[in-house]
Amino acid sequence: MLRNVLLKTLRDYRRSLLWWGIGLAAYTTIELLFYPSFRDFPGLEEMVRQLPKEIMALFAGDVASFFSPKGFLHDQLFFLFVPLLFIAFTAAFGGAAISGKKARGTLDLLMTHPIARWQVVLQKFGAMALATLALGGIFWIAMAAVSVAVVMEVSPWRLAQATFSVVLLALAFGSIALALGAYLLNALAPVVEALQPYHTLSPFHWYIGSDPLVQGLNLLHVASLLGLALGALALDLLAFQRRDIAV
Amino acid sequence: MTLALEARGLTKHYGKARGIEAMDLQVRSGEVFGFLGPNGAGKTTTIRLALNLIRPTRGAIQVLGLDARRDAVQIHRRVGYLPGELALYDTLTGGELLRYLANLRGGVAWPYVENLAERLGCSFTQRIATLSTGNKHKVGLIQAFMHRPELLILDEPTVGPDPLMQQVFHQLVDEAKADGRTVFLSSHNLAEVERICDRMGIIREGRLVAVERVEALKARALRHLEIHFASPVPSEAFTNLPGVRDVQMQDAVVRCAVTGSVDAVIKAAARFEVVDIVSHEPNLEEVFLAYYSGDAGHVA
Repeated sequence: MLRNVLLKTLRDYRRSLLWWGIGLAAYTTIELLFYPSFRDFPGLEEMVRQLPKEIMALFAGDVASFFSPKGFLHDQLFFLFVPLLFIAFTAAFGGAAISGKKARGTLDLLMTHPIARWQVVLQKFGAMALATLALGGIFWIAMAAVSVAVVMEVSPWRLAQATFSVVLLALAFGSIALALGAYLLNALAPVVEALQPYHTLSPFHWYIGSDPLVQGLNLLHVASLLGLALGALALDLLAFQRRDIAV
Repeated sequence: MTLALEARGLTKHYGKARGIEAMDLQVRSGEVFGFLGPNGAGKTTTIRLALNLIRPTRGAIQVLGLDARRDAVQIHRRVGYLPGELALYDTLTGGELLRYLANLRGGVAWPYVENLAERLGCSFTQRIATLSTGNKHKVGLIQAFMHRPELLILDEPTVGPDPLMQQVFHQLVDEAKADGRTVFLSSHNLAEVERICDRMGIIREGRLVAVERVEALKARALRHLEIHFASPVPSEAFTNLPGVRDVQMQDAVVRCAVTGSVDAVIKAAARFEVVDIVSHEPNLEEVFLAYYSGDAGHVA
């Protein structure tokens, strides 16, 4: 694990990844275990239908599919909490990798070894991508396993696609760390008319606008997220190439 | 004569704060060069410019004949560097850290690394976080020397008070010099630089004040003498002696500053009954003042 910067970075995060994985799997399991009682609870659907649609837009999205397995997954996991968790993971990872307090101190040592700066950035990004994919893998396994256990009819393939979409979103934010502002743009856009035209510019729209859980991945949205991640990476590369490394 | 390091008009400003100003510096291949100056004078800034950790505001610096900016990776391959503020990966053991850094260099001769560790008394199995400052310093020295680089750039390498370690460090520098390799080290300790180096450059407030052979500097060294006599002596006995100034008489004690040889003062004192002689090494500030007040020919 000490062969290169990528593996060393993964090694540094192995413990952190383990705990994130355990936490995420536990949360997913608990959420899905609630599904049967949620599905069979009399009168709940009626109550939800009476909520103001602005509230629904902010926290759930589409009322019509609220009680289907996919609707449940969408609202309970994919709409808000899971993407935020993934973004928190990559934002912490991306923030710590080069400009974190620890990394800054040891950067002197690293950058005076025969390795180009763009290589360091690329390898750290690679480590972040692999770690996020691993976290996505854990999440997917937990979801697929528990959904079988609670007899929830949803295709593992669709779950994988939705998970991949989360991973891409998180990677985009890992590269730019702009999570909160952009999230609010998406969630509030249906409520605040003035923001409506910008709705489709939000990374959150690219992530979930086409509802990968129901319809599968939208290639344009995948490309947009990838473009954002890679564009931010390119900025990282350029900026780090030029930057003075502070003592 | 090839140069291991060459700065031309090298300038670095940090916003409004001064870094270094129009520095011209030449370090020859195969010499041990001491870069002497008080803290904050710009020693570390110069070193970080040479290693492309920071970019110059103006001017350029060449390392081993290569451009510090354009050929940074090639330079790093051939240079060993000890940072002044050493930060290592706390979660690794000493051995793991050295393996990792060796891997980044595409491998080094491991028996030599073990040899260095043994001589310095450095543990490979302890986690860096649990090491004392002195032991971290040892790991820092090993990673700088382990690939037998052509040029060693050592930022304040002799901070440790451990005399045994200083001795090993002097040996390492001597071995590097015997191999024809170059050592560039910074220090704020004049005695240390005098002991190790062939030449020294003196830096003050971001400017290179003087470059001098250590032997030549010793010949012109400033010393404070304090001579205690058994009874008061006539002050005329010590005025107008060559190289002697600032003569002060107080009861039976004569204080004076001597540049170069102390022979004349000792001979003048020998005519009276001497109880004690105390000699103070000059501090850096006085060495600088000697340069400022002295011959301007040495001012770069």
